[in-house]
Order: sequence, then structure tokens, then C-alpha cells
Amino acid sequence: MKKILTCAAVALAIAVPVTSVQATPSDDLEAFRAYFKKRFPDVPFNDYINGVYAIDKASREQWMEIEEFPPYEINVEQGETMWNTPFKNGKTYASCFGDDVAAIKAKYPHFDDKGEVVTLEGDINACRVGNGEEPLKWKKGKIADLSAFIAYQARGQIINAPEPKTAKELASYEAGKHFFYAKRGQLNMSCADCHVYYSGRKARADILSPALGHPSHFPVYRSKWGGLGTLHRRYAGCNKSVRAKPFKAQSANYNNLEFYETYMSNGLEWNGPGARK
Amino acid sequence: MKKILFAATIVLTAVLGTACATSGETKSAGTATAAIAAAKEAQAKAHAVGHEFTGVSKMIKKAEKLAAEGKADEAIKLAEKAKFEAEAGVQQYEDQKDAGPRF
Repeated sequence: MKKILTCAAVALAIAVPVTSVQATPSDDLEAFRAYFKKRFPDVPFNDYINGVYAIDKASREQWMEIEEFPPYEINVEQGETMWNTPFKNGKTYASCFGDDVAAIKAKYPHFDDKGEVVTLEGDINACRVGNGEEPLKWKKGKIADLSAFIAYQARGQIINAPEPKTAKELASYEAGKHFFYAKRGQLNMSCADCHVYYSGRKARADILSPALGHPSHFPVYRSKWGGLGTLHRRYAGCNKSVRAKPFKAQSANYNNLEFYETYMSNGLEWNGPGARK
Repeated sequence: MKKILFAATIVLTAVLGTACATSGETKSAGTATAAIAAAKEAQAKAHAVGHEFTGVSKMIKKAEKLAAEGKADEAIKLAEKAKFEAEAGVQQYEDQKDAGPRF
């Protein structure tokens, strides 16, 4: 009897961690939301689309004033001009994305046939190249303008990144999840260290934003940048802040991270472009 | 005769001294080259696993510049620091293989 009990105890001890490792994406999503609900019990769920302004009243007041004359407005207009300007072959972006601009943003990110993550910016450049145009630089400038125009049309729609199902899709999802939680850089810090476990606390003069809702408001006009930038520009900046050599924008690492963060934000509203400090 | 011997001693000392100094410099330069090569090798490993720290590349470039200027000791010191940080990146990669949520 003792032997049976010992065996059962050992089996249970082994099984418990295995179960936690094998959490499904929907398990992860549930746990992620529950964590932030417990951490910031007074913050309404949809307010997480406002980043740090959801959790800090003083910053929120300043931000609301900035939003009265949004600094990204001109970028949205420039993006609209790009959308309506034909390529040299006479076609427009609508030939790749369809005529309904408002329906574009919510389709991204998603998986391709190989289970790899496809981003909006990736498809913008694919569209350009497919129509004989030069690809745009990834992090800022024209690509951010067009992305801002597309995001603006989708405001209020619900984030609904697809559930990873195939082995390859799950591998991409797990890679993004691992990137999010793995410490890196000389400061030995992960995305989660700042934006999960220490969210709401200060790093020097800045309050760390909660990760829930991060992708909702990109591209973002950052006062620090003095302009608009893509989500991958921000990822590179975060990596540099912990003294980790950043990856290239639209690399598999950042694409997977974008998918993971977006999936974790499912159920919130798209509200890009945003304005941030 | 004494003058000749004295002069010969001075010349010999100078020649030997120069030879020794040259040998020492060559050795240091060689060591600096090896230290830089070792740092680059460690950097490549850190880069391959995606855990290179931001300062490593700059340190190696500076070490190369110092070595070219004949400042072998400083170059070695910097190259060894770069190697240490690159190896720390690889160690971090190993340590973080099972990283996941802690809630």
C-alpha cells in the first residue's frame, strides 16, 4: 500500500508541472486576464486599451488634453492619401486589402499556410513589392502613416486574434509567449518583468504600463520619438532599454511576440493610433 | 681598448633591449588579437541564440581600435570584458529555456 501511495505521489508531482507547461492558448488568456483583474481590481476591462492611462489618474488627465488635438492626426491624413494614391501600375492598396478599409486591421495578426505570423505592416510591404513598388522602411515614416490610417478606421472593433490550432501555429504562439517571459539583456529583464509583475510601478520617472491591451493602440505617436512608430519599433526600444541587442522589425521573434500580445488582448477594442509619452 | 669595450657593451645592451622590447610588444599584440578573436567567437554564439547584450559589439570595435594603436593591454582588458558579457548572454539563454508565466 505504501508503495502504491508513494508511486501515486511521485506521479502527481510529475504530472502537475507538465500540465502547467501544456496550458492551451485559451488557458493562457484566461490566466492573463485574471492576473490583471486581481492586480488592478478597479480598472474596467476595456480601459486597458489606454495603457498606463488606465491605471494612473494624473497621467490620464494630461493624456486626455493631448488627445483634444491628437498629434497623430496629420499621419492619419497622410496615410489616407497613400491609400488613395495609385501605384505606377495604376492599382492601389485596395487591390491587396479590399475596398473596405475598416475591415483590414482586425484581420491582423494572423497565420499563413506555414503557421507563420503575418502582420499588417508585413502585408503593406508585400502589397507594394507585388505591385512593383519599393518596400517601405519598417519602423516609422510612411508605413506607420498608412498603418495609422487603417487602424483609425477600425477603432471600436474587437480584437479577435485567431486561436492557434495547427502544430506550426502553436509553435509560433509558444515562441511569442516564450519571448515575452524570457529575461534578456544585461539587465536580465523580460517583457513580463516590467509589464506584468511590475506593471503600475515606477521605472525611474515612468509608470510601467500593463501588458494587457498593449497592441490595441499601435501605431503610436510618442512624444519621446517626436513622431509615429510601429509596434516593432517599440519592441526594439524596450529591448535596448534592458541592454539586449534588438531584433529586426518584422523578424519572426517580433512577429510571434506581436501575435502573443494581441491574442492576450482579445476581447478589447482596437483604438489605434494612440498618443503616448 | 676600454673605450671600444664600453661602446660595444652599450651597443649590445641597446640591441638586446630593443629586441626584448620588440618581442614583448609582439607577444602583447598577439595576445590582443587572440583576445579579440575569442570575444568575437563568444559574440557570435550569443547572437546565434538571440541573447547578445548591446555593449558587446561596441567593446570589440573599441578593443580592435586600441590594438591597432598599440595599446595591447587596454585592448585585451576590453576584449575580455566583451567575451565575459557575450558568455553571460549565452548563459542567460540556457537559464531562460523554460521561461513562462509565474502566475
